[in-house]
Amino acid sequence: MTASEREAVSADASAEDEETPVVELDNVEIVYDRHFLAVQGVSMSVDEGDIVALLGPNGAGKSTILKMISGIGRSERGEVSRGRVFYDGEDVTNNGANEMVDRGVTHILEGRRVFEDLTVEENLRCGLYRGGRRFRFEEDDYEIAFEYFPQLEEILDLKAGYASGGQQQMLVIARALIHRPRLLLLDEPSLGLAPKLVEDIFETLVEINRQEDITMIIADQNAQRTLDIADYGYVMENGQIELNDPADVLLNREEIKEFYLGTSGDGSRYTDIRHYKIRKRWT
Amino acid sequence: MVDFVTFLDITISGIGLGALYALVAMGFALIYKVTGVLNFAQGELALVGAYGVVILGTSSLISTPLPAVAAVGATILFGIILGIFLERVIFRQFIGEPVLSVIIVTLALGGIFSGFIRFLLGPNYRSYPEALTFGFSIDLPLGTSISAAYALAVALALVVVVALMLFFRYTVTGSILRAAASDEQAAMVLGVSIERTIALAWALSIGITAIGGVLLAMSSGGAGFSIVATGIIIFAAVVFGGLDSIPGAFLGAIIVGLLQELGSFYLEGGSAVVLPVVDVQLNFGAGFGEILPLIFLLVVIVVKPYGLFGTERIERL
Repeated sequence: MTASEREAVSADASAEDEETPVVELDNVEIVYDRHFLAVQGVSMSVDEGDIVALLGPNGAGKSTILKMISGIGRSERGEVSRGRVFYDGEDVTNNGANEMVDRGVTHILEGRRVFEDLTVEENLRCGLYRGGRRFRFEEDDYEIAFEYFPQLEEILDLKAGYASGGQQQMLVIARALIHRPRLLLLDEPSLGLAPKLVEDIFETLVEINRQEDITMIIADQNAQRTLDIADYGYVMENGQIELNDPADVLLNREEIKEFYLGTSGDGSRYTDIRHYKIRKRWT
Repeated sequence: MVDFVTFLDITISGIGLGALYALVAMGFALIYKVTGVLNFAQGELALVGAYGVVILGTSSLISTPLPAVAAVGATILFGIILGIFLERVIFRQFIGEPVLSVIIVTLALGGIFSGFIRFLLGPNYRSYPEALTFGFSIDLPLGTSISAAYALAVALALVVVVALMLFFRYTVTGSILRAAASDEQAAMVLGVSIERTIALAWALSIGITAIGGVLLAMSSGGAGFSIVATGIIIFAAVVFGGLDSIPGAFLGAIIVGLLQELGSFYLEGGSAVVLPVVDVQLNFGAGFGEILPLIFLLVVIVVKPYGLFGTERIERL
């Protein structure tokens, strides 16, 4: 056991003593359509106020985990078939999306899912809805959205489908903020955006995390950027968690450098190493 | 030559007929807009509305019928409850399934509704209570007039189209309905209950359709099974308007009503239009007025598959 791993274990142990994690997955197995095994033996724990990075290549199961936490996976015939999911210490395994929203979980789906036919203002208005009815509707409801994304105020009457990619990403985050969530799940917020925009959005996420005290899980392929702002990180591969450590420890691990950051010191190229079994090198 | 006052008269009754269709058409467009379902039971739902008043307001089935106006109110209420009931029992099972399954279900529902009414009341035409068969007409300028039932239909259709437009544009619930239609999953993660959305859409739709059915029956003095055919005619109207547009459905229905009235009057022989230069009488024989909207439907689908106001990403028919 390396020093860093020991650190991680002891950090986990002390966290458990202090407070219940916001989200805890205990040896979770997720099955789609009763047959397709998507995620296996995943345990993770997210502490109040943290930003947790969920990393890994396409198809590793990052989205699946987020979807089962927010409950939206149920509508895609996904099911936690083994293990338990806890939210605030309560068992929420296989709860529906509505109930999780009521508990303060808001999920930002992959791919900037704005309501294209609706204007920006109408999109924000949809954030005023919760549990089947609108739950507050005053002018200053949008303030939290405009505070972090002042650009949106200028394009309120624009059809969201015509907004730029960056504006759409801001809009979906703003729409989620109007919900005043406790836990925000973000799926690939950097996907398909220019590096400068990614920079801005990640900076804003940190601000939101600090000022609004919103816990976040960010699933992203941009490992460097995500780990830079995260407190803790999980790396997934083939539906399993292969690595987990505090973000700064992960950033310095050789495997991460080689496979996700491309900054390994010895000059090895991706073509030289791709036939290796990644998992073997991690154990 | 065409007599101008007669032409105006026919035009006005065309608009009146169009307004009747508009109510049924808007019920159809509403369902398509919110749930993506083409409701092939629309004509039968109008029939349910028409016969609802017969059942509740005349002594054909119950011994002490409700007063006429109460019967109409109860019928509309029944339509709304039917919408909620259908969501609970049937449409809820199909959330996340292909829309096609629900479309097939509407075909079955249509058969069940019309079959059940036939079972209860037989296939014959049933007159409406006296209070609901406005025999009189309202005089308009230039010596024209409009029958009271048509005038009521025009007023109600206008109220419904304006109310729906305001509802979808300015209320949170209206935005939510459009949002759920645009991206069901993204709406669900915002805490939108898809079940409620669907129930609301069907309740509103069947309520409006029931009003349309009652007015269709009133305009001809009573309920008959010919109302089912409205389900096909309004299809032309809705396709013209663009399937998912409510004002489009309204306008389309008015145009279909006009085509039908003008077609029946001028192209069926009686006062046939004579083309002045070639001296040919446009006489296509009896019943042409009724198929004119369908010819129109064909032309619209070929020329403008997404209709006047339709969202262009909707599937072609």
